[in-house]
Amino acid sequence: MKFLRVRLLSFILDLCLWAYLLYGGFTLHYLNTRWRPWRPEEKFVAPELSPLGWALVVLGILEVVLFTRAFGPSLGQRIFGVRLVGEGGGKPSFSQRWLYFFASHLALFLLWFDPERPFYERVSRLRLAPLPEPGTEGPGPRWYFTTHGLSAFLFLGLTLALGWRLTEIDLRSFVGKASKSLRIWRGLINPDFRYLFVPDPRIKLSFIDGLVQSLYMALLATIAGTAVAFPLSFLGARNIAARGPIGWLVYSLTRGFFNVFRAVESTYWAAIFAIWVGFGPFAGSMALFIHTIAALGKLFSEQVEHIDPGPVEAVTATGANLLQVVRYAVVPQVIPQFLAFTIYRWDINLRMATVVALVGGGGIGRLIFEYKDDLQWQLVGGVIILFMITVWIMDYVSGWVRERIV
Amino acid sequence: MPHLVVENLTKVYERGKIRALFNVSFSVEKGEFLVLIGLSGSGKSTLLRCINRLVEPTSGRIFLNGVELTKLSPRAMRKVRRKIGMVFQQFNLVKRATVLQNVLAGRLGYNSTLSTLLGRFPKEDLRRAQECLERVGLLDKMYVRADQLSGGQQQRVGIARALMQEPELLLADEPVSALDPATSHSVMQYIEQINKDGVTVIASLHFLSLARRYGQRIIALKAGEIVFDGLPEAIDDRKFKEIYGEEAEEVEVR
Ligand SMILES: Nc1ncnc2c1ncn2[C@@H]1O[C@H](COP(=O)(O)OP(=O)(O)O)[C@@H](O)[C@H]1O
Ligand SMILES: [Mg+2]
Repeated sequence: MKFLRVRLLSFILDLCLWAYLLYGGFTLHYLNTRWRPWRPEEKFVAPELSPLGWALVVLGILEVVLFTRAFGPSLGQRIFGVRLVGEGGGKPSFSQRWLYFFASHLALFLLWFDPERPFYERVSRLRLAPLPEPGTEGPGPRWYFTTHGLSAFLFLGLTLALGWRLTEIDLRSFVGKASKSLRIWRGLINPDFRYLFVPDPRIKLSFIDGLVQSLYMALLATIAGTAVAFPLSFLGARNIAARGPIGWLVYSLTRGFFNVFRAVESTYWAAIFAIWVGFGPFAGSMALFIHTIAALGKLFSEQVEHIDPGPVEAVTATGANLLQVVRYAVVPQVIPQFLAFTIYRWDINLRMATVVALVGGGGIGRLIFEYKDDLQWQLVGGVIILFMITVWIMDYVSGWVRERIV
Repeated sequence: MPHLVVENLTKVYERGKIRALFNVSFSVEKGEFLVLIGLSGSGKSTLLRCINRLVEPTSGRIFLNGVELTKLSPRAMRKVRRKIGMVFQQFNLVKRATVLQNVLAGRLGYNSTLSTLLGRFPKEDLRRAQECLERVGLLDKMYVRADQLSGGQQQRVGIARALMQEPELLLADEPVSALDPATSHSVMQYIEQINKDGVTVIASLHFLSLARRYGQRIIALKAGEIVFDGLPEAIDDRKFKEIYGEEAEEVEVR
């Protein structure tokens, strides 16, 4: 049964690989010749292929897959750690491989008679065997002489080429238009601290005001988020919560909540709360708060799942109930890591506190965005330098504290 | 009436469909010192954990003082567990906590959830903790972190934790397998002393020589079934080979 699964999954993997290589290759060709997003004036011509053409493409992919699997190990076989060997465990001969290749065309029809040992393996007198332990069979061929090595190389190369095209990388403007950003750089190295303590009459906020606001946004979100994530994390730990059907439901719901709310970045949360509670630092800290709960909750839960189960067993055996077990066998084991995660989260929140301002989160970020919109690069420079110094100090301090507790 | 009765106990682990115990029946008198022996994987740990239902039996019945444990609600089972102490091969202490905190955990079942969550124990329990630590000779280590102790000392803390429960039954799962021979005997002597004070003891031991030295009666398990139940003297060479396999040699733990 195990080998059937390996066969099926590695086959699907190979199929995906070659389909991707072929389709990606065509796409690359199209991007280069017919559809050039960086030349919007050119008309886009959609690719066309007759039904027969499509059938041939699919067939071609299948042939390549079967071929690489026979003369492999193919990338799929390699990833699942198997290869073809002769009956006695030796290296397959060429004729055996060809036999295997042709016979495997009939796989779909005849596989089902004996899934443990499909007929095409019996005819060619080959079988799938786990890869040998590294080192037991000498150095082995270099990667560019192996099927899986070449496949992986093609895969990476194609992905890079496609990525280059699709992200519209444009080295000419990167180099040629560099002078346009010059005044920004100039502003940054000639920072203006005019409003360091005195509030800017227009925004009614000094740099320090903004900084303090951001610091407290991050602090509030971290403390409140940790307070909520702490109890939730036990519900999201399989070894604590997932007992019985109700336990499984609670566990799955909690984990689902963590995953969904974590996937939505703080910036989007800030946009949502900016509409909900209005622009300003409150929206920003709510965004950080929600994201902190989900992110820390997940980290905490995983930590709880990795505790030593021994003390849990022992405390349960004394007649303690679940809450007591958590308090006396689990919490002492995870407290240092929980603290470290919280401090780490505080670092992130401080940085995010500036970004959420982009969508109306308030704090020091608001200054950056206001000045940027007014093209006052020297003031932007001042704010950024102040912020960098703060982050640098915080990083240093929190790293020092974390080292001390774990 | 026997203290503990086990009837047709069978345990099949869902994961892997492993039959760890099959149709195991025996009974234990009050104050007995029963030793379980058998190769690793023979089901000793599973049997001990079925008795206090850390592992849920698949079928069969278990009676303690005539009460059928296998029928009890989780809540009622927690009440019964208070009277069943347990010590473990790996000691299972909370390593970061102090010895005192580990020992006090033995009283959790007797105290209200709320006060224990706040970390509060009655004065009575603190006094009892001192007594128990004194009995295992570790009174001076009360405020030391558990991971600062040697293996033998950690196991004595484990014993003190079990003593805190004022148990009438003590389950010991290979209590000395992680210890060197000299320490093994010192730990076994503490367990023996508890037995002399009237507590029924069921201990699994890896070495037959230890089993002979401390057990009043021996039950041998093989692949989840009882292959011997009787006095230590009755295990001769043939019986020994049947339990431990043909190649085994009896070794002495001094
Ligand atoms: N939690 C578990 N899940 C699945 N199988 C288990 C589990 N615990 C023990 N087993 C299996 O049950 C059998 C008996 O194990 P155990 O009771 O630990 O034996 P012993 O303590 O004598 O070494 C072994 O085959 C073991 O692999
Ligand atoms: Mg065991």
